[in-house]
Amino acid sequence: TPRHATPSIPNRAQPTRRPANVLEEARTRLHVSSVPESLPCREQEFQDIYSFVESKILDGTGGCMYISGVPGTGKTATVHEVMRCLQHAAAADEIPAFLFVEINGMKMTDPHQAYVQILQKLTGQKATADHAAALLEKRFSSPALRKETTVLLVDELDLLWTRKQNVMYNLFDWPTRRHARLVVLTIANTMDLPERIMINRVASRLGLTRMSFQPYTFKQLQQIITSRLNKVKAFEEDALQLVSRKVAALSGDARRCLDICRRATEICEHSAADPSAAGLVGMVHVMEALNEMFSSAYITAIKCASTQEQLFLRAVIAEFRRLGLEEATFQQVLVQHQALCRVEGLQPVSVSEGLAVCRRLGACRLLLLEPSRLGVLQRIRLNVSQDDVLFALKAD
Amino acid sequence: MYLYVLQFSFLRIMSKRKAKEAHLPIGECIDQVHLILRKRFCHQQLPDKLEGVEAQHKHLVELLKRTAVHGESNSVLIVGPRGAGKTTLLRSVLRELSEVTEVQKNLLQVHLNGLLQTDDRIALKEITRQLHLENVVGDRVFGSFAENLAFLLDALKKGDRSSSRPVLFVLDEFDLFAHHKNQTLLYNLFDVSQSAQAPIAVVGLTCRLDVLELLEKRVKSRFSHRQIHLLSSLTFPQYVARVQTQLSLPDDFPDGKFVREWNAAVATLCEDKSVEDVLRRHFNSSKDFRSLHMLLMLCLSRVSVAKPVITPADLLDASRSCLADAQANMLHGLSILELCLIIAMKHLNDVYEGEPFNLQMVHNEFKKFLQRKSNSMYNFEQPVIMKAFEHLQQLELIQPADSSSAKTQREYQLMRLMLDHSQIMEALQKYPQCPTDLKQWATSAFA
Repeated sequence: TPRHATPSIPNRAQPTRRPANVLEEARTRLHVSSVPESLPCREQEFQDIYSFVESKILDGTGGCMYISGVPGTGKTATVHEVMRCLQHAAAADEIPAFLFVEINGMKMTDPHQAYVQILQKLTGQKATADHAAALLEKRFSSPALRKETTVLLVDELDLLWTRKQNVMYNLFDWPTRRHARLVVLTIANTMDLPERIMINRVASRLGLTRMSFQPYTFKQLQQIITSRLNKVKAFEEDALQLVSRKVAALSGDARRCLDICRRATEICEHSAADPSAAGLVGMVHVMEALNEMFSSAYITAIKCASTQEQLFLRAVIAEFRRLGLEEATFQQVLVQHQALCRVEGLQPVSVSEGLAVCRRLGACRLLLLEPSRLGVLQRIRLNVSQDDVLFALKAD
Repeated sequence: MYLYVLQFSFLRIMSKRKAKEAHLPIGECIDQVHLILRKRFCHQQLPDKLEGVEAQHKHLVELLKRTAVHGESNSVLIVGPRGAGKTTLLRSVLRELSEVTEVQKNLLQVHLNGLLQTDDRIALKEITRQLHLENVVGDRVFGSFAENLAFLLDALKKGDRSSSRPVLFVLDEFDLFAHHKNQTLLYNLFDVSQSAQAPIAVVGLTCRLDVLELLEKRVKSRFSHRQIHLLSSLTFPQYVARVQTQLSLPDDFPDGKFVREWNAAVATLCEDKSVEDVLRRHFNSSKDFRSLHMLLMLCLSRVSVAKPVITPADLLDASRSCLADAQANMLHGLSILELCLIIAMKHLNDVYEGEPFNLQMVHNEFKKFLQRKSNSMYNFEQPVIMKAFEHLQQLELIQPADSSSAKTQREYQLMRLMLDHSQIMEALQKYPQCPTDLKQWATSAFA
C-alpha cells in the first residue's frame, strides 16, 4: 500500500441534478441519510447524554455509559448530535476541548482491530493489534501534563465479544484509571447485554449508567416525518398518519417509516399521468407502498407456480393430514401426487420429474428439504402455514 | 468459433454486394440458423424487449437512474425462482441505462457473486479491484483484510452525494452473502446506502423467498425493504407464443427465402396438436424458460442439411429425453442377479413397511424364491451375491441407513432402498428379455 494513500471514490464527470419538483424535493428530505438539524422526540435522551458527557469533561474524570435500543430508534444519531453540540460548545470555549473517537464493531474484521482503529484515530499511527493495545495502555495509564478528555463511542458493542473478553475489559477499565480522562459511550441493541454476555469484572466496570431507547410511538414517527419535510407540502395528513401507525404497530423503526414514505412518493409520481403535475401523496399510494414492503410473497409465489408444483403442495398437505404429522418423506408424498395427477386428468409424473418439482419448491423455500442425495427418502416440511397454501390454491 | 466469425464477415460482404434477396447454399443457411439460435438458448442472449415484466423493469430503471443522476442511495432485492429471468432483467436494465449519457459517464459498477466470493475477505478484494482504488496495483490488492475494509470504508466515507461517482453493487446469489461471518459486508454496504456518504445502489439477486429472515436485525433495519418479485403469471398461449418467437429467425438473416420458409415451418409446428401436448406437459411441469431452452436446444441439434426443419417428431423425442426417469434407466442396465436382489428388497420393504434391511435378509428372501421355483438357474454363491450387493451400493440404488458404516460387518450393515416401487415395476416391463418368473415374483411374493 502507498504509505499515505488517500482513499477516495473518483469524482463525477457530470454534476448531479437538482430536485425538479415537490415530490423529488420531499424524497431528498426523506432519505435516511439526510440527518436533520435537530432530532425531534429524543430531547430527554439527548439531555441525559449531554449532561453526562459534559459533566465528565468539566470534571476531567472518566466514565462509561451503556445505551441500548432496537435498531432504528435514533441511538447513534442522538449521540452524534450530542457530540456536535459539545464540539460547538468547545469551539466557543464554554467547555474544555476534547477529542472524539468513534469505532463500530461491525466495521472491523476482528474485535482486536478496535485497538488499531482507536490508536489510528487518536494519533494517526499505524500498528498491529498487540502493539496498539500496549500503546493505548500506556497513554491512558501514564499521567501527562496537558491532557484533554477523550470521548470514545463504541457502536455495535456485542461484536467486540471475545472468549476472554479482554477487548471489552480494556475499554471499560481505561476510564477507571486516574489519569485516563476517558469517557466511553457504548451502544448495542439488547437491554440485558451486560448481564448476558459479560463476565462479572467486565460488567462491573461498565457500571450502572444505562439508558434505553424506546421504539417510537406513532405520534413521534409522525412528528419526525413532518419535521423532515419541513413545510414541503407533499403528503396528505391522513396518509402520514397511516404510515406512522402501521410502522409503530410493527417495529417503531424510523428507517422503515422513511423508506415507506419515500416509496410512496415514487408510486405517486408514477401513477400520475403527467409527472410534473403529480399531486399530493394520498392514502392509495401509501397503502400500495405498505403492501409492497410488508406483504409476504409466499402466497403470490404459490399462485404463480406451475400446475405440477401446485399439485405437489396439495399432495404434501394431503399426506400431512393422513399422517397427522408435519413431516413426510418424498416417497409418501409422491404417492399422493400421482393420485392427484390422475384425478386432475394429467399424466402421472415420474420420480425424476417429481424430484425436480420438489427441488424447485425447495430452492425458493416454500418447502424445507433434506439434502437431495437422500433421493426419494428425503423428508419434506412446509415453510409456510398450511392455511396459507390452501388459501393460495383456493383463491383462483 | 473462428470459422463462424470468418463466415459471418464473409456473409456480410456478400449481403452488401448483392441485393437483399441473395440465395445462400443450404449448408450455410443451416450454419447460420445454428449460430443464431444457439446464441439464444445457450448464451442467454438478451432479447430486444423483455415481455411480462414491464412494471418491474420500470421500477428498477427508475431506481438506478435516481442513484446515477441524483446521487440517491438505494438498496433493492430481486427475488424470483430459478430461471425466472432475474439476471436478464438486470442486464436489460443496465443496457437501457447505458444509453443515458449521465449514467454512462458516472456510474461505477461492481459485480459480485456469492458462489465466487465465498467470504468477506475475497469479496472485499474483488470490490477494491473492480473500483480501482489506490491500494490496487495491476490486478493485485495490497494490505490485510482489516486494512482493506478500513480503506474501502474510508473511500466511501470521503465521498458525498453531489461530487463523487455513484457505485452500483450487484450481489448475485445474495442469500449466500448472508451466511458470511457477522454479515459484515452486507452491514457496511447497507450502512453506506443509509448514511450521507458516496452514493451507492445495492442490488441483490436471490431465489429464496425468505431471504429477509436470513438478515440480522441491524442489517435488516438498514435494508430499505424494497423487493422486486419476478413471479411469472404466464398463460399457456403466451408460452407457445414464446416458443415461436424463440425459434423464429430475425428479418436481417441473409437469405430471405430461407427465413420465410423456416418461420412458416415454425408457425405450423406450433399449431400442431401433438406439439401442443408436449409443450403443455412441460408448461405444467415448470414455467421457467431455462428448461424450455433446454428442450428447444435438443430439437435444434437435430437440424441438419439433410433435414432443414424442425418436425413434431423431433420435439417429441427431445421431450422424451428431457422427461426420462434417471433411476429407472439405470435399472435397465443391471444384471439379472442384481435385479433379483432389488425385487427381494422390494418385498422386504412391503413386508416390514420400509424398515432397513441387510444383505442376509435379502439373501434369505432370494433363497425363498429359488426354493419355490426349484430352479437352479440363479443359484449363485454368497460372494457373488455380495459383489452384486456392493455394486448396487456403488450405484447408490441402496444406501446405508446410518452413517457408522465402518464398524459393522458388511453382511449385517443396515441398508435402505432408494427406489420407488413404481420405478421397479416399470423397469421390469421394459427390461430386455426379462425372464417371466422374475416378473411374476415381482408382482406377487408367492409366485
